Amino acid sequence: MKVEHELQGDRKVYTVSAFNRGVASWLTRLPTVWVEGEVTEFRRQARWQSVFFTMKDPHDGSCLRVSMPRGGFDALRLELADGMTVHVFGRPELFGARGDFSLRALSIEPLGLGAVLAQLEQRKRKLAAEGLFAAARKRPLPLFPRRIGLLTGNEAAAKRDFVTAVAARFPAARILVSQTYVQGPRAAPALVTALSDLAGEDAIDVIVLARGGGSFEDLLPFSDERLVRAVADSPVPIVSAVGHEQDTPLCDLAADARASTPTAAARLVVPDEGELRERLSSLRGRLERAPRLLVERKRAGLESLAGRLRALSHQSTLSRGYAIVRTESGIVRTASELAAGERVDVELAQGGFGARVEETRP
Amino acid sequence: MTEERTFEDAQRELERIVGELEGGRASLEDALALWERGDELYRFCLGKLDSAEGKTEELGRRVEEARP
Repeated sequence: MKVEHELQGDRKVYTVSAFNRGVASWLTRLPTVWVEGEVTEFRRQARWQSVFFTMKDPHDGSCLRVSMPRGGFDALRLELADGMTVHVFGRPELFGARGDFSLRALSIEPLGLGAVLAQLEQRKRKLAAEGLFAAARKRPLPLFPRRIGLLTGNEAAAKRDFVTAVAARFPAARILVSQTYVQGPRAAPALVTALSDLAGEDAIDVIVLARGGGSFEDLLPFSDERLVRAVADSPVPIVSAVGHEQDTPLCDLAADARASTPTAAARLVVPDEGELRERLSSLRGRLERAPRLLVERKRAGLESLAGRLRALSHQSTLSRGYAIVRTESGIVRTASELAAGERVDVELAQGGFGARVEETRP
Repeated sequence: MTEERTFEDAQRELERIVGELEGGRASLEDALALWERGDELYRFCLGKLDSAEGKTEELGRRVEEARP
């Protein structure tokens, strides 16, 4: 393609338009290649001819714009979302009017689920080997947190579910909410920062990490190594309530407790006020009854002792009709100790008398 | 974390005291002191429940500025 220029003196000068067209035409000679990167800023609108996104190199953050004709894109039936790793087959292109350089995609393939799963599995094994998921690391949650930190996304559902459930169980609870990205490539570093900010706030006794359900890709930031390490190292106990029951992002394994939903997390972090008051009032009742119980118990003990003492005294024997016979040499136990005519003294339950022995029998 | 007494600690001690009084092993002199301590703990716990005021606050938008 011929690119027109103007001669100004001995200088060849191109208009911007001609320059762009020239470069654009030169670029068409480059080969069509596969490029791998993470999708960010995906944009698709019905009235646009093309869909756009930026592909990012996860290692150094280098960016590349990608465009693809909408018809071709829609035919692929892809659910592209920020943070997904894709392979794009395309060639470089310069969009003349703006001088924008981009990769014109002919095809897009998400990096196979298998590859992502294998990556996760490897990460899980590595972190488990370091002991990050060990049961011994888990801390008990406070019964009555002074303040609860809630780290969640901007979507309302998880926050509303948690706050509502907490208020129903324990109206006096104090919650400090921190909202940040919970999806896409910004999520993991933003969550790490937010987590450490929240833990540094005054009187935070527990932190709940809450995010509603989402696709496998949506939840990937919650398996990001940086976040998993931050959860394990948090100075404040953490409850992970991410995704649904069947999802197990790695941060669930590193957290001190996991809940299947934000509502379930509320049950873990606050006591039921009704139950608490009931228990207190029952303790109060037992405390009230305890002194009388104690005195009664002591009195019963005393009376039983007194009874045993009485049983042992000779007075009770005398009162049953027995008598004690004494001579000057003491209590008489056998008749042979006595002689006829000897004087004896007899003690009865009440009073006594003196007597003389008439006769003795062996 | 501060050194101030928590609701949990107070309730746990109250439970222990009630158990000890009910066990009947304490002397009458000790029982009086235990009872007074239990009563104080009960009032403390109830006070915590009654005075606590529910609140939901938002942490400033600081985190929004965090960029990867």
